[in-house]
Amino acid sequence: MTDRHSHLPLSTGAPGGDPFSMEPFVFATAQYASGDWDSTPMLPANVIDSVARYTALPVRPQGVSVPLSSEAVFAYPLIFLTGHLPVRFTMREAEVLRSYLLRGGLLFVDDHNHDVDGAFHQTVREEIRRVAGPLAPLPNTHELYRSFFVFENGPPTTSHEMNGWGDNLVHEQLDAVLRNGRISVLYSSKDYSSEWSFHPDNKRFLSVDNTKFAVNLVVYALTR
Amino acid sequence: MTDAALLALVNGVRRALTRVVYARLLLLACAVVLSVWLMADGTRLVLGRGLMAVAYRSDPALGVLWHVILLLVVLGVTMLVWLLGRHRTRDLTTVRAAMWIEERESNARPTSFALVTLIEALATLQPTGGAAQVADHAMRAVAGSVPLQASARTLVAQADVPRAVQHWVRQQLLGPALFVMGAVCVVVTGVLVGTGGSSLQGVSRSVPGTAGRDRRGEMPVPPLGAWQVRVEAPAYTRLAPQQLGDVQTVAAVSGSTVLLRGTGPLPAPVLVRMVGSAADTLAVRRREQRVLPTAAPNGWQVRTVAGDGPVTLHLSRGGGSRLLVIEGRSDSIPVVSLLEPARDSVFRTADGTLALTATVRDDLGLAMARFELIVSSGEGERFTARTVPLGVRRFAGERTATIRATMDMAALKLVAGDIVHLRAMARDAHPLSSREDGSSETRSFRIARESEYDSVAVEPAPPPEVDKSLLSQRMLLRLTAKLDSQRPALAHQTVLAESMKIGRDQARLRQAVGDIVFQRLSGDASGEHAHSVGDGHDHGVEQQQGKLALSGSNAGGVLSEGDDSPIIAINQPLLEAYNAMWDAGRALEQGDPKAAIPPMRLALAAIERARAAERLYLRGKPPTVIVDVAKVRLAGKDTGVTNQRPAREALPPRDALRAARLVLAAQLVARDVLAARDSLAVLRVDALADAPAFAAAVGAVLDALRDRRDATDAFVRARRVLGGVVRGDGGIWSRGVPP
Repeated sequence: MTDRHSHLPLSTGAPGGDPFSMEPFVFATAQYASGDWDSTPMLPANVIDSVARYTALPVRPQGVSVPLSSEAVFAYPLIFLTGHLPVRFTMREAEVLRSYLLRGGLLFVDDHNHDVDGAFHQTVREEIRRVAGPLAPLPNTHELYRSFFVFENGPPTTSHEMNGWGDNLVHEQLDAVLRNGRISVLYSSKDYSSEWSFHPDNKRFLSVDNTKFAVNLVVYALTR
Repeated sequence: MTDAALLALVNGVRRALTRVVYARLLLLACAVVLSVWLMADGTRLVLGRGLMAVAYRSDPALGVLWHVILLLVVLGVTMLVWLLGRHRTRDLTTVRAAMWIEERESNARPTSFALVTLIEALATLQPTGGAAQVADHAMRAVAGSVPLQASARTLVAQADVPRAVQHWVRQQLLGPALFVMGAVCVVVTGVLVGTGGSSLQGVSRSVPGTAGRDRRGEMPVPPLGAWQVRVEAPAYTRLAPQQLGDVQTVAAVSGSTVLLRGTGPLPAPVLVRMVGSAADTLAVRRREQRVLPTAAPNGWQVRTVAGDGPVTLHLSRGGGSRLLVIEGRSDSIPVVSLLEPARDSVFRTADGTLALTATVRDDLGLAMARFELIVSSGEGERFTARTVPLGVRRFAGERTATIRATMDMAALKLVAGDIVHLRAMARDAHPLSSREDGSSETRSFRIARESEYDSVAVEPAPPPEVDKSLLSQRMLLRLTAKLDSQRPALAHQTVLAESMKIGRDQARLRQAVGDIVFQRLSGDASGEHAHSVGDGHDHGVEQQQGKLALSGSNAGGVLSEGDDSPIIAINQPLLEAYNAMWDAGRALEQGDPKAAIPPMRLALAAIERARAAERLYLRGKPPTVIVDVAKVRLAGKDTGVTNQRPAREALPPRDALRAARLVLAAQLVARDVLAARDSLAVLRVDALADAPAFAAAVGAVLDALRDRRDATDAFVRARRVLGGVVRGDGGIWSRGVPP
């Protein structure tokens, strides 16, 4: 499909209904017990705005937060998780998350800290390893970077990486857990939570929309 | 010779001649039948169909028909012989017999007919009565003629009638008898050869292009139907023979005899082929061999011996074929575990006893188990060793056992420097004497030399101090409640002592809470310090009757405390908890646990609120944004393109081949279920070694086909297993249906 008005079929219809019915995409934020899961309240609206702005995907205007301990996670193809504080999944959260990933869900984790090897970074990677397996660097030639917009150099750099809290360290790659060649968990230390956490109306002031990578992520989650 | 004797002689000759006629006719009839039989067999041999007698022996249905035909032939021949005999002996009278005698005597001269005349007269003189009286008188006159009688008797004497009859019998019967005997010999020989070399006849039968036709060329050979399998394990295993039905796969111990029996004609020679990864390295002639089926009551049978690995038996008949998989399993050696002693050791002196315990188990049955000691003595470069068995125990086929023994150090006559290696060993009932025994791990015991005695005394370290971890407020509450409930049964001093103990724990917890009530600029944790009210420092809080309360001078912001780091934040819930703990501690110090419970509950509730406190953002909580999707739809300046989903990575060549075979077997199910089962059985055996998960999935497919269930799901699962696809229960998530 090459048309910008391309319609991407979503097989999110209710059971027994038309499998090709166009259920809207819902942006879900993971709610977990151990940390500040809601540290970026503006991000869902910004991502939704970008998906609607660049694609014809039906999308719900407002995001939702879904507890990781709840089986409601199975209704959402993509779940976003972020925070500053250490992350420790409860047994129930780990069980549900493991099942979710096994059944094809995609978890996008972003470190809201602008640090290297911080508490969130260490603990969440341990939890991911326990639930889904070890994270490995995702090649910058992965199809994620071409699923809608083309990012020749891999994941786009965030301003917080460059002028953030002083580390001036750019993370060249994202990490991922692959399952049968498909991304199951995508981990970012680039602080997209800060990069995308602004009101969508302020996008008009940007010369380059820095949320386009979020569109790639959503399209990949829905079509791969 | 009297007249009666003469007449009797001639009658005897007549009877003999009659018998010769019948015998000759019988022999001739047999000769004709045998000739036809031989001609038929000869024709069948030319056509490659084997002898009729062999055919009827191998085919029960044909055997019945054969017997019926034989019976009919015998009856027909008998009837024919009787009718012809009667016809031919109708004119064989006494007079004719007499003439036969005269013909034998007068070979070179004319016949005198003296004997004929006399016999005729004598026969006529036989009392018959009636109108023949006139003829009898004439015949009497003829019979009384002396010259006639003399001539006749002379002729009889010269004729040597017995010899003539013998000659005549030999002349009439020898030829046909020889022919019949020869034909019978040929037939019997052919039957014997055909029965013993039925394989040759089978090979000659199984000509390509002629499969499916029987030996008579009249009815098609039925395809292989159901069979029975019998497995007889080697005698040493003590396993009872297994009688299985129409199975596709048989598991058997190596060395077991597998007997396959079926009904109907003999199938073609059976192809026995080794399968599996181990067989791939062998040459074709080493991994394939042919076994000839043999005749069995009501059918056929094939006998083979199971090896250590899987083999397939390929049988074919009537254009169809079937497969039997024999999963040979080798007899494993016993597994031995040494339980006691649990570790190696060094002894100062060689006295005392050591208990030895070991467990042994075997898959088929144990024969013997024991402990084995190897005592090594010596030093430097000169050592001697001796082996000492202990606790030998024999079994009668048990599969698990525990053996025990006692090692008497003194009995082993150990000296300083000796080393004892101990292990437990077991043997199963396998007859091969060179087979390896099962053995446990080895324990080593050494008798120390004097020079090795350690003179350093190591004082054990004192136990570490007990952790002074704080009890939680919840635990303190529970302890206080328990003390209060037991108060009526305790002495006052006891209650006071326990209450004060809890009070001390409460105070420590209160101090820890106080450390975090105040957040200082420098990060110091010193909520409580020794400053007192009126000491000139503005704490931001003031103690009012021991409790902390915000002071009036606290207008917010940083509270300077002189040299101490300023307080920049106060945790209100924890402040409340701190004060409640103060009240509770005071009540506990007074020995009143009941009065301490309510403030302890307040403190606990305050701590819970502090845990669930809502996080506040420095810039304030942002408003909820709801995107106007319709307004912004496709309003972006940039365009993107969705690219094609890449194809899934191809399977490795071996797995790709297995996937193709799986698909072919699935397609074959609709046409020939038995053939599909055979294909799947071979596929399963082939994958047993390197892809056990796939082999198990194919086994599930076979089970479904055997039970005549829908095997679609099983086929799909097997294909997914091969491709490494993991699919949880409950279907795909994208339907939005929670499990």
